Amino acid sequence: MMEWAQDALAGIEASREGRLNAAFPEMTPAETSALLEQFHPDFKGLERTVRVGPQAGELKGLAEVADLLEADSPLPGEFAPKPDIETDVLIIGGGGAGLAAALALQGTGLQVLVATKLRVGDANTLMAEGGIQAAVGPDDSPRRHFADTVAGGHGHNNPDLVHRLVQDGVPVIEWLTGLGVHFERDGDLSYRAKPGGGTSVPRVLSCRDVTGLEIMRVLRDAVLHGEAKLLDHHAAVELCDDGAGRVTGAVLWNTRTRELTTVSARAVLLATGGSGQLRLQGFSTSNHVGATGDGLVLAWRQGCPLLHMDSFQYHPTGSVYPEALAGQLVTEAARSFGAQLLNAKGERFIDELAVRDVVASAIIREVEEGRGVTTPPGRKGVWLDTPMIERVKGEGTLAANFPGLLHRFGKYGIDPTRQPVLVYPTLHYQNGGIQIDTNGRTAREGLWAAGEVTGGLHGTNRLMGNSLLDIIVFGRRAGSSIAEHIPQRGPVTLSALIRFREERNRLEGLPERPAPWLFPEASGLRFALKEAPTPSAQMPGTSTQGGGGGSFEPPDPFSGR
Amino acid sequence: MNPDPSKDNTVNITVGGKPYKASPGQTIVHALWAAGQAQAISTGCAGGVCGACTVSIRFADGRKGGTELACRKTVEEGMQVYPFPVDPMPSKPPVSDPTPEKLREVYPTLDRCTKCESCTHACPMDIPVMNSVLRMQKGEFEQVAEDFTTCIHCGLCRAVCEDKVLPHQMGMWVRRSMGLSYPNPPVVPEPDQKAAAEWAHLMEGTPEERLERARQFRKEGGLGV
Repeated sequence: MMEWAQDALAGIEASREGRLNAAFPEMTPAETSALLEQFHPDFKGLERTVRVGPQAGELKGLAEVADLLEADSPLPGEFAPKPDIETDVLIIGGGGAGLAAALALQGTGLQVLVATKLRVGDANTLMAEGGIQAAVGPDDSPRRHFADTVAGGHGHNNPDLVHRLVQDGVPVIEWLTGLGVHFERDGDLSYRAKPGGGTSVPRVLSCRDVTGLEIMRVLRDAVLHGEAKLLDHHAAVELCDDGAGRVTGAVLWNTRTRELTTVSARAVLLATGGSGQLRLQGFSTSNHVGATGDGLVLAWRQGCPLLHMDSFQYHPTGSVYPEALAGQLVTEAARSFGAQLLNAKGERFIDELAVRDVVASAIIREVEEGRGVTTPPGRKGVWLDTPMIERVKGEGTLAANFPGLLHRFGKYGIDPTRQPVLVYPTLHYQNGGIQIDTNGRTAREGLWAAGEVTGGLHGTNRLMGNSLLDIIVFGRRAGSSIAEHIPQRGPVTLSALIRFREERNRLEGLPERPAPWLFPEASGLRFALKEAPTPSAQMPGTSTQGGGGGSFEPPDPFSGR
Repeated sequence: MNPDPSKDNTVNITVGGKPYKASPGQTIVHALWAAGQAQAISTGCAGGVCGACTVSIRFADGRKGGTELACRKTVEEGMQVYPFPVDPMPSKPPVSDPTPEKLREVYPTLDRCTKCESCTHACPMDIPVMNSVLRMQKGEFEQVAEDFTTCIHCGLCRAVCEDKVLPHQMGMWVRRSMGLSYPNPPVVPEPDQKAAAEWAHLMEGTPEERLERARQFRKEGGLGV
């Protein structure tokens, strides 16, 4: 593969020895600001003020996000919620934050229902590769972790949230290992920490390059053994309230049967994750199919303030080749193990372990100034010299530490131990979100939020390894807080939505497409109710058209033996 | 995107018997998205790690087909794709001192393996599933935990096993049990006074002052208080 780039690859091969151990100078804060302002997608001036909702006229959001927040609900105007299910706690979202909360609620006697749009565990948590931060090293401390996080977030972080995050680091690692999660260890069983972009000492613990997968599958297994009830394929399309500012439930849409279910709950936890599938500014994304910012929309209509809706993280190294992997993550750990970034001329152009927004901006600069590599299908990127890892850390290092990377590229005939991979920034993380306190409480009674859907913790740029820690710390804290402060059951109405719609009606020129989107634009999947079937909603196997080539008998799944 | 505009770029496939036109280099999932038929195969991460989009495949040229993840497999001319969803199932609760006897207790199916190797062929992550099951029988749990490092619990090994050996669930039991068997390293307590003084400095002040102190701390490893 990659015959089209043979000359470039030969040049990189030839220059590798000379690039060995060459340090790239760290930039000054002034140089960093200049680079960000000129090239980072957050500074393109594409944000605008949101016109409807709790911070109407104040909140600045990227245009696409503002559209989402101003949109109407997909619920029909005549829909009146009548509780079909009663539970004590409704957790919306089956990723790391939601399941950590479910486990924290175990044994409290409260009935817990986890509703999720895809299946439990089909989440960005699972796709996290590089690791989780915790100050375990001899030269490390929660204060140093705090300092790195605040410096990385450009000082826009909520210090109370960061303080909580870093203090809970080591206890969270111990909690996870107590569930059976594996982290890399040294001979004396102490945790092996590696550097990440913006960490001043090695602090990232990992399970190879599948850290999120390891955490997610263990959390899921633990939850499946527990008391919580699970409701897969149910997307939340609206929150319900008691008419006096308290959240009392949600309306769920079954993505399979296209029917609505109303849940009455004493407490609701929004753990719906991020919004990469909005594909802001035309970027590809590393996010799973369901990451469409649903939780932002739901909380907004309830009157919850949002933070930093003009700040998103573009992970510096999203794959650009082959097409089948476009946008998918190449873990930052590759750079912490020594992989260098090279432009089309084979030159380095940035300290590879600068924080993410800086590295991403530098890659965009190289491409915009004509020093990028163009793939045959027309994507642009720069090289990530993965074979350098083998040269620096010894042969076999990639196989031992990056089984996921090798498997992913190997499927398409690319061997990262021998040839570099092509990368370009990919929409990765929603830095901002719902404003919460250190117990995950939102501005609305009855409503908690945890994980990527929240904002303030990471400022305007998140460090590698801080989101896996975030979801466990604040998922668990939200769970405990709910157990402690759960309100009584209240009436289930759509008062907040009705008020939001009245506010919308007074304005003109608002976006027409309803939100939450629930699925990516490109998938063509849309909210629709059972009564109004569309041709695209036909389930496989029910087609009367047929007419495909050859046999229709499913192949024998044992034929591979 | 069009890899080579000079060539005819249509690839004909069928999914669940229905014909679709796709572009070379597209995965099955993205071909279905482009055709407005995303619901034909359920999808989760679209990144090869959640296992929601399991399918079985038959090739036009008579090559042996088998199971795949639709979000990973690129389209080929004449390929026939069938949704092959497998529901997730929990494994048995782990123990902190795993032995083959304890594994047999919770998974009496362990020794039913007839070494047909269907599981290994079915695995989209190239895990040596059958060999790992044989290692489980012998109690080589360190290696078993290693083998299942990249397991996405798609369930295919379980679904294709005629003898209901439940490989990935045993893999999870072994991994979690091994994880539980390692003690946590001791945590070194911090000097209280210094920590309290540094915290006070870091938390106080304006965001600009905090950013400045954070930068100083990163550089000097402390705040000199």
